Amino acid sequence: MKAHDWYVENRPAFVARSLERAEERTFIDHLVRCEECTREVARLERDLAWLPMGVAPVAPAPGLPRRMASRILDRPSRWRYAIPYGLAAAMALLAIGLSVRGRAERASMESQLATRDQRLAALQDTLSIVQRAQQILQAKISMNGHDGGLVIFQEPVSHRWYVVVHGLPPAPTGNVYQFWFITTSGMVRSVEVRGDPERPAFMTLPMPPVAAPVMGAALTVEPVVNRSTEPRGPMLAHVTF
Amino acid sequence: MPGHPPSPEPRGGPPSEGHRSGSGLALRGEASLRRRLLARDEQALVELIELASPWMLGLVQSILSDSDEAEEVVLEAFTAAWNAVGSLGDEHETLLPWLFRIARNRAIDRLRRHKRTRLKLARAEAMGALETTRVAPPEVNEAAQPGWHVHQSVHAALAGLPPEQGETVQLAYFHGLTHSEIAQRLGIPMGTVKTRLRLAFDKLRVALAPIKDWVP
Repeated sequence: MKAHDWYVENRPAFVARSLERAEERTFIDHLVRCEECTREVARLERDLAWLPMGVAPVAPAPGLPRRMASRILDRPSRWRYAIPYGLAAAMALLAIGLSVRGRAERASMESQLATRDQRLAALQDTLSIVQRAQQILQAKISMNGHDGGLVIFQEPVSHRWYVVVHGLPPAPTGNVYQFWFITTSGMVRSVEVRGDPERPAFMTLPMPPVAAPVMGAALTVEPVVNRSTEPRGPMLAHVTF
Repeated sequence: MPGHPPSPEPRGGPPSEGHRSGSGLALRGEASLRRRLLARDEQALVELIELASPWMLGLVQSILSDSDEAEEVVLEAFTAAWNAVGSLGDEHETLLPWLFRIARNRAIDRLRRHKRTRLKLARAEAMGALETTRVAPPEVNEAAQPGWHVHQSVHAALAGLPPEQGETVQLAYFHGLTHSEIAQRLGIPMGTVKTRLRLAFDKLRVALAPIKDWVP
């Protein structure tokens, strides 16, 4: 049995994510070097793309989609405030204002606590990426007299990167900072990066859903209109493994 | 989560207007939805969540056996997708499978990160969640549920597997167990687990071929 046979045999297990942790790490390392396995894994994932729908759907709680959208957009839901305010008004009419205040404070504290719990979970997730990072890439960025940097923590288990961009001034008018994945088959557009010299931008990014292995990343300045699937603007940073 | 494949009836009210489309999903033209998401159309995000969240919740709950955690993971997955939709390839990848993969990976990461596997197994076993008795598809009128016909196709493909292979797929894919955990649970060698999974996937590739290129 050749060494490569093990990878061939375990492609389904890798797609199912039933490999043990160390095995999974070994397989990921192999994928970076093996075009055949990368291609076959991508093909298997495509063939089984709808397998997750073998589980029956669970209807979300009423209002959950809107609440999720609000959370993602970082915009509080109207109802989140309307309900306590409406409740407070009704209770005021019943002349039990003090009771209302107590409830409102409790609701507010519970809400704050829930928000902090979610924040903590997010930070723990971020920390796990940093702790498990297999490689760390860094590059210096100079833009309009500002010196900053790009730092990437590559986490191989969940296939995510934690990316920090710091020291960038606001993008020139009509332009955005664009983050790209560099793959063996070309550049793949990722997220836009906010420019703020005082506040670093932190991003957790999954690997691009392309078959080609990711070799690195780049940051460019791109126009807001007439965007291209390939970078055209000036390259600010460029890192490869 | 009873039976194999897990098929509880959807909870809650009827799907929103955006979901009604007769035979398929109402979001006609995935390219259109993608363009709107890329243009940061917030309504498109809401539509995507309404469309995909029932399936994602079902999948993630199956893995985590916890509805609250499932909601958190699904929210994380949508957040990641909203931030990275620009990186979604347009040739071979469609939105829903991409979202499913993100959600499933995150659910499994969470399951393993917190070293909860043993606890979950015990809990799930106590609740009968890992009961592997095969059951018939539920006799409910789910025609209005977006993607229901895809679910039925996948359900039929899973039901067509030999029992021991279906059981292995269920434990690995829908409950997030590793080879060693499956081997321990079923009392079989790890090599047998791998073989069953490989044979099952070969059969599923054939059985799911007619819907492989389906686009909502």
